[in-house]
Amino acid sequence: MEIENEDALPTSNQALDPDLQKKHLSMLERLSNRHQSRLENSLALRSDSNSSSSSSSSAFLSRFSDSKRSIESQIAQSRLNHPTELSKLRSHLDNISASISDLEKLVAESSYFLPSYEVRSSLKTVSDLKQALEILNSELIPRKKFSFKNKASKKDPITEPTETTLEVSNSVSISHERLSLPVRDSPGFKNKKGEILVKDFKGSELGEFTLLDLDSCEVRLIGSVRALFMHKLRNCSVYAGPVTGSILIEEAEDCVFVMASHQIRIHNVKMSDLYLRVRSRPIIEDCNGVRFAPYCLSYEGVEEDLRDASLDEETGNWANVDDFRWLRAVQSPNWSVLLENERAEMVNIANLGGGTEGN
Amino acid sequence: MGLLSIIRKIKRKEKEMRVLMVGLDNSGKTTIVLKINGEDTSVISPTLGFNIKTITYQKYTLNIWDVGGQKTIRSYWRNYFEQTDGLVWVVDSSDLRRLDDCKMELDNLLKEERLSGASLLILANKQDIKGALTPEEIAKVLNLEAMDRTRHWKIVGCSAYTGEGLLEGFDWLVQDIASRIYVLD
Repeated sequence: MEIENEDALPTSNQALDPDLQKKHLSMLERLSNRHQSRLENSLALRSDSNSSSSSSSSAFLSRFSDSKRSIESQIAQSRLNHPTELSKLRSHLDNISASISDLEKLVAESSYFLPSYEVRSSLKTVSDLKQALEILNSELIPRKKFSFKNKASKKDPITEPTETTLEVSNSVSISHERLSLPVRDSPGFKNKKGEILVKDFKGSELGEFTLLDLDSCEVRLIGSVRALFMHKLRNCSVYAGPVTGSILIEEAEDCVFVMASHQIRIHNVKMSDLYLRVRSRPIIEDCNGVRFAPYCLSYEGVEEDLRDASLDEETGNWANVDDFRWLRAVQSPNWSVLLENERAEMVNIANLGGGTEGN
Repeated sequence: MGLLSIIRKIKRKEKEMRVLMVGLDNSGKTTIVLKINGEDTSVISPTLGFNIKTITYQKYTLNIWDVGGQKTIRSYWRNYFEQTDGLVWVVDSSDLRRLDDCKMELDNLLKEERLSGASLLILANKQDIKGALTPEEIAKVLNLEAMDRTRHWKIVGCSAYTGEGLLEGFDWLVQDIASRIYVLD
C-alpha cells in the first residue's frame, strides 16, 4: 500500500489526465480511512475500561482545549470578581487547582497514544495554567510577610523554665511555631525529687510510659510495656522489666539504668552506667562517660516476662554499642565496658523496701 | 543497540519509582520497609547510614531509600533528595514529647525545592501502642492542612508491628506517583 502511494505521489504534481488524478485522490482517501480505522481498532484493543471517552488524539485534543479554555476563563474571571470571604476564595482557588490537576491527569492517561509533540505541548499548557493560578493566588491572597519580631527581649520567667538551653540548639528554623494543639499527657512519673517510684505493669493496659524530670529518684518498673521514654533524669536509678518495643533516653546524668528492650537509643547521657539486654545494637549520641554491662535485674516472674518479650536470650549486644558521634573503626572514647569487678550485683527490686505506686 | 532495546529501557525506567523514607529516629522506618518486604522484623538496630530496598509492588519497581533518623545524621538526608518521586515521612505516634521536633524537621524538609514535586505520604506509625495519637491528631499537630496546595499528600495510621495500614499507605503513594509520571524525555 505504502509503496503504491509513494509511486503515485510524484505523478500528482505533473497534472496528468484528470481521470488518473481522480483515481489517485480516491485512493488517498481510502488509505486515510483505513489508517483511521486501524488506529481506532488498535486503541480499542489497548484501552482499558476508563478510556472510553478518550479514544483518539483528536478526541483528546478537543477535550483538552475545552477544559483549558474553561480554566483560563475561570482564572480571568476570578481576577475581576471573586468571593471576598477568605475561606470561600480559598475553596474557589482550590477548585481551579483541582481542574488543572484533572487536566494533567488526562494528559498522563493519554500519553501512551499521543504523539510526543502533543504530550510536550499539553504539558507546557498545564504548567502555564499552574503558573497563572499561582500568580492569581499571590495576587488575591498575599502571603504573610516575613519579618523579625522583637519577641526575645520580652522574657517571661514563668512560662519558659528550663527548656531554653535545648531550644537554642534547635533554633535553626526561625519560623518554628509552638504547637497549637495541647497534646495530651502520657502516663508516667514526672517532676519528682528524692522518691522511690514503683509501677507494676502487670494487668495494666499501658502502651507507653514516660519518666520526665526526675532528680535523685529510684524507679522500679515491674512487668513489660511497649515503649519507654526517659527525659531529664539526674542522679536516678531506673530498674525496668522488658520493653517489647524501644527505649529512648534523652538527657541524663549520674544515673544507673538496668533495662531490657528490643531497641535502645541513648542521647545526651553523661557519667552513667547502663546494664542492658538488647536484641539489636544499642546506640549512643552526644554521650560521654557512659559504661555498659549485662542486664542484672530480678523480681518474681522476670524470667517469664523476658521470655514473653523474646528477651530471654543473652545476645551479648549490650557491648556492641554504636556511637553516632564516633564513626570510626577505633573504639569511641565516649563509652566503655564496665569492668567486671565494678559491676553491681544482681538487683532484686522485689526485696528493696516499699515505695509509692504511680499512675 | 536496536530500537527494541531502547524501548525496553524506557519501559523499564517508566515503571521505576524512587521513594525516600525519612522521619525522626525511633519512628520505625526500617521496620516498615522490612515488614512490607515480608522480612523478619524482630532484630533491627538503629540505622547508621542508610538501607536501600528494591521491591516489586503491583507492576512497579520501588527503590526505597531508608535513611537513618538520628540527629547526627539528619543533615545527610539532603544527599538523597535528587529524583525522589515519593516521600514517606514516618511519625512515632506514641512519642508525644518530640512531636515538636517532628514538625520542625518536616517543615524544613518541605521547603526543599528538590522535593517539591514528590508525593508525600505521612505514616502515623505505632498505632498498636495504647496512648498513641490518632492520624487525625497527628495531622493537626503537624498542621498538614496549611501545606502548599500543589503538594499531593495523605496521612495514614499504621503499625509496622502488625502491618496494619502499610499497604493502604503505599497503595496510595504508588497510584499517586503513577498518575503523575509518564515518558517525557
